[in-house]
Amino acid sequence: MIAGKPILLAEDNPRDAELALAAMEADHISEKVVLCHDGAEVLDYLYCRGQFKARPKGNPAAVFLDLKMPKVNGLEVLRTIKADINLRPIPVVMLTSSREERDLADSYALGVNAYVVKPVEFHKFLSAVKEMGTFWGIINEPPPERWRFIQ
Amino acid sequence: MESASNHPSQAHLSTAKRAKSLASVPAASSAFYDVAVAWFHRLTIEQRVLTGFNLVFVGILIVSAISYHNTSILLTNRELDGRSHDVILLLTTIDAAMSEAEDAHRRYLVTGEESYLELYKKVVRQKPSFTAYLSELTHESPEQQQRVGVLDRMMERQLNSESKAIARFQEDGLRAAKEMAFEGAGKRELSVIRRIIAEMDLHERQAVGRRIAESAAETENTSVLLVIGALMQLVLLAWVYYLIRHDITERRRVTSELQRRGELLEAANKELEAFSYSVSHDLRAPLRHIDGYAALLRKSVEPSLNDKAARYLQTISDSAKQMGQLIDDLLVFSRMGRQEMLHTTVDLDQVIRHILADLRLDLQGREISWTIAVLPEVQGDPAMLRQVFMNLITNAVKFTSTRPIAAIEIGVEHHTSTEIVLFVRDNGVGFDMQYASKLFGVFQRLHRGNEFEGTGIGLANIRRIVHRHGGQTWAEGVPDKGATFYVLLPARRRDS
Repeated sequence: MIAGKPILLAEDNPRDAELALAAMEADHISEKVVLCHDGAEVLDYLYCRGQFKARPKGNPAAVFLDLKMPKVNGLEVLRTIKADINLRPIPVVMLTSSREERDLADSYALGVNAYVVKPVEFHKFLSAVKEMGTFWGIINEPPPERWRFIQ
Repeated sequence: MESASNHPSQAHLSTAKRAKSLASVPAASSAFYDVAVAWFHRLTIEQRVLTGFNLVFVGILIVSAISYHNTSILLTNRELDGRSHDVILLLTTIDAAMSEAEDAHRRYLVTGEESYLELYKKVVRQKPSFTAYLSELTHESPEQQQRVGVLDRMMERQLNSESKAIARFQEDGLRAAKEMAFEGAGKRELSVIRRIIAEMDLHERQAVGRRIAESAAETENTSVLLVIGALMQLVLLAWVYYLIRHDITERRRVTSELQRRGELLEAANKELEAFSYSVSHDLRAPLRHIDGYAALLRKSVEPSLNDKAARYLQTISDSAKQMGQLIDDLLVFSRMGRQEMLHTTVDLDQVIRHILADLRLDLQGREISWTIAVLPEVQGDPAMLRQVFMNLITNAVKFTSTRPIAAIEIGVEHHTSTEIVLFVRDNGVGFDMQYASKLFGVFQRLHRGNEFEGTGIGLANIRRIVHRHGGQTWAEGVPDKGATFYVLLPARRRDS
């Protein structure tokens, strides 16, 4: 377990972001969450550019991606991550309202690690996001950091 | 197809009008023309083409029959000509033979030479065969037959008088015979014979001349007829060609029109898909927020929350959840219409078994008597048909929940080679038949929300699936007695 590794949450809707953060408050996971408001910000973070130029080096523990986002959408971010040998090991979880078969198929085809449909009922949403945060932030062993410097 | 038959009929109507406007066309033939046009108007393209070909066929038959008739007249004439020539030749021979007999009997009377007598006797012997042959050749003409009769008598008399002269000569010598010659015996007969022969000859020659003229006319008629017939058939064939070509052009146009509409439909379908996608994504988010913030609010004000406020917050959450369910149902419904259909054999017995197994947990604590007939195999999409029976069975279970012992029956109403009618019957709350038409509508409910839960999409889904299978659904019910839902499926596969 590598404490302090951040979780990247990509969510364009501030309310959804707030609810997600509220859900992850329980085990103090929310403190580790870095919030991005669109796909472009996620890529900026991962490649340490733009506003994230000065961030500490290293990959996040996981990326929680919304599908529908301005600028660069979730699937495009996923494609970029899985196409980059340094980013490919990062676990990517889709966190989306869409249950469409096409979205599921596309995501898995691109190599997504998990796909979670946001439930409408808050208590279900709460438990889903909480479990996601606990699993990917604490329980799951992230890939070793050396992957990042393998090139 | 409808538009395909329009154009030619319009063309014919306009010709009908033109024909009407002609002052020279008598009223009767104009009426006949109108009837013919009206008849033609009702024909399909196949019947029109067939009519055209039939007319060509009849034309060929008529021309052939007339040609055959004319040719046989020519052949008969030729045979008659041959007979006329024989008659003429025979008349010449008879004329020569009679002259020879007269000449021979004279020479015998003068010289008493026996060879002349022999020559004369030969003609006498030949005479019956001459007249018999002549009679046979002219047996078709009564006029000539009459002449043959006269000729025969005259020849008889001539030869008789010559024979008498010869007999007198042999009995009484030359003197007596001379006397007879001076009396002019046989002279008159011979001139009559010559006249009759000339008449018969003329008659035959005139007949030959008449027949030559007739044959020439027939030949000319035949060639004119052949030319006219060929032209008419060409015109008819051109018309048939026009009909077929016109039909093919129309069919091509309709095909491309259908293709264009198909493309439009596909585009519309894509748009609808994008719409439902956006509904599923965007409409759900605010609902989640309503429920989420209501929960957060409850959490942060929990200590000071009174019962009323708690109920308000609960109602906000419940309404959001309900709308979420409606959206989900609507999406399933719209997906049901778009989804690709499979066409395989579905074992309904197995489908029902699986559904009951899946419902096992929900049925705990309920007393239900099941009557399930042996169900046939049907053609269709297994997942969709499963959805149909799942909805029907859960409905039956739901609407019998007020009964101490629920009775649910699944069976076959009838099964023919073309269709299968299945039913699910229950002894539940039933419904009033006057609302039967509303049962299968989207979000239509006959019961209040607090009586039985549900959004009212189940039967709409059933109807949509069954329609896509080419079948029908309907229901019968009696309030507080129960309801029966029927599903008709075609026995053979049909595409939707």
